[in-house]
Amino acid sequence: MSRGLWTTTVGSFPKPPDLERARNRFSRGEITAEELTKLEREETERVIRMQEEIGLDILVDGELYRGDMTTYFAERMGGYAISNPVRSYGNRYYRKPVAVGPIRRTQPLTVEWWKYAQSLTSKPVKGMLTGPYTMMDWSFNEHYPSREAMAMDLAEAVREEALALEEAGATFIQIDEPAVSVRPEELPLAVRALGRATAGLRAKTITHVCYGDFDVIYPALLELPVDMIDLEMANSRFDLLERFRQHPFTKEIGLGVLDVHNHRIETKEEVKEGLRRALEVLPPERIYVDPDCGLKTRTVEEARQKLTVMVAAVREVRAERGISP
Amino acid sequence: MNLTTTLAGSYPKLPTEPGDVNVRVVRNRMDQGKATAEELSRAIQATVRRVVAFQDSAGIDLPVEGQIAWDDEQTPVARGLEGFGIAGLIRYLDTNTYYREPEITGPVRWTRPITVDEFRFAQALTPRPVKAVLPGPYSLYRFSKDRHYREPAEAVRAIGEALAAESAALEAAGARWIHYEEPWLGRAKAEEAPLVRAALVPLLSGRKASTVVHVPFRSPRAVFPVLRELPWTAVGLDLVESPDAWGLLSEVPAGRTVALGLVDARNTRLEEPAAVAEAVGRARAQRPDLTYQLCPTASLEYLPADRAAEKVRRLAQAARLAAGNGGR
Repeated sequence: MSRGLWTTTVGSFPKPPDLERARNRFSRGEITAEELTKLEREETERVIRMQEEIGLDILVDGELYRGDMTTYFAERMGGYAISNPVRSYGNRYYRKPVAVGPIRRTQPLTVEWWKYAQSLTSKPVKGMLTGPYTMMDWSFNEHYPSREAMAMDLAEAVREEALALEEAGATFIQIDEPAVSVRPEELPLAVRALGRATAGLRAKTITHVCYGDFDVIYPALLELPVDMIDLEMANSRFDLLERFRQHPFTKEIGLGVLDVHNHRIETKEEVKEGLRRALEVLPPERIYVDPDCGLKTRTVEEARQKLTVMVAAVREVRAERGISP
Repeated sequence: MNLTTTLAGSYPKLPTEPGDVNVRVVRNRMDQGKATAEELSRAIQATVRRVVAFQDSAGIDLPVEGQIAWDDEQTPVARGLEGFGIAGLIRYLDTNTYYREPEITGPVRWTRPITVDEFRFAQALTPRPVKAVLPGPYSLYRFSKDRHYREPAEAVRAIGEALAAESAALEAAGARWIHYEEPWLGRAKAEEAPLVRAALVPLLSGRKASTVVHVPFRSPRAVFPVLRELPWTAVGLDLVESPDAWGLLSEVPAGRTVALGLVDARNTRLEEPAAVAEAVGRARAQRPDLTYQLCPTASLEYLPADRAAEKVRRLAQAARLAAGNGGR
């Protein structure tokens, strides 16, 4: 019997309305950091329990204590300032990091949250970081003479955090690089930076890439120096799999099977069909099944329902094909 | 020497002064059912007033309306044309901003004015000519998913004709300048030049208004042999992110205008006006037979409002320095 089709998620979970309100109240100075942290810890435990109840194999802390995926880190690193709000789309804004000096990891960034989440479950919890290339690309730069210089300083900072996560016991470390898919000419820089960030790690390393022109970056994408590349598949109706027939996918894959930008709950049959198509071109022991991207844009109930369908579909396909987890 | 100052595309909607109308807050309140569509409309108009007045006070010769009501730089126009649907959110090139992907589901046709009311409102606020801003047809096609046309050339021609009709409506409303935002020209390969021509010929031919084809982010080098022959008034180049666009200056036909994108719309680092003026001088020395505009490299909405405003002030100051009056 073969093993494989492990289930996981990409990282973020939806923040419940109470927590959103508390974050807003904290930003207005109406509650203390301790009060906000207490609520974040309670909700993190709820997310861990939810993942256990659904039956996921590899868990995440849900990132309920983070805002934007770059700003959270920049706020805790040396050399960064944070800008006034910048629009991302429509009426959505975020505060963007600004490199104003040499970027350094001056304190642990996520380790305490990882330790807390791991203490709540016997299942493995992934360490979740934003990659150096993406941190660079999604920041303003008022300090560095080149994009490369900035990315490589960030790589060192990310590496220090990854090593700290590993030392704390993390066996899966995911370093997300969603920005690498949009500037194919800079893929070599992203490879160098991620290579520095993952140098010497013994944990299984993962990177998540999304929203890009895969026609242009595949198969060069396989040069990213990690064990597993996590890709959105549902969003493009699993079209990417056809590319794997021409250029085999040589790493482990995080196979996105849920469209995270759609309120609709996928049917079990849809997910099973995607899994069956994936199994035509990839062996089960190299497939980890997850949503296309972070779930933070869904409601808590949508996230629960989507993941429940995903796990049920995986179980049925495992049974069909004689695959054990 | 005359140097016209202008902006590209969209401008930050958020206020820089406490107490000013904040359209973001009003939209949030509307989403929560606490504000009406009329209140949002008033907030948008107040923001346009502020943005136009600011450009006037800074000394921008060709101000823009700022696309204050727009969610992104192409959807509102695609939505206004027949033949387009609007699909999911997708990243806008390499900017970490997003847009809703237009989908071509039938023959693309212009049936009614889309941006004319916005133009009229802004133009009534200033004696200076407001530059109308539209997505360029080649980029609108490349940003869209085409589910209808069998040949890309048919699609781009139809979009070019539709945007020509919108441009004619803007001209009838008094627009003297129309700016077409064409980021995809910087990504087009040489073999796509016929498509670029098919998109832009119906748009630019016979225009009464002066036109700017603005190419942010990357140099349109690969298609410039075709682009240079088209009847635009000005071509806008991003000389910060693509310094190799300087090389195109030698290929611009005599007597045309180049909009020099010398103020970085994608980084908060502030330019020294003297350095910008010096770069303008370099362009003039290289091609004294051309006329010049000075502008940001792209829409200033990639920046927080405070930095965008400071960049506009510095751009105007650089233009004054380049004109030889000491930046006063």
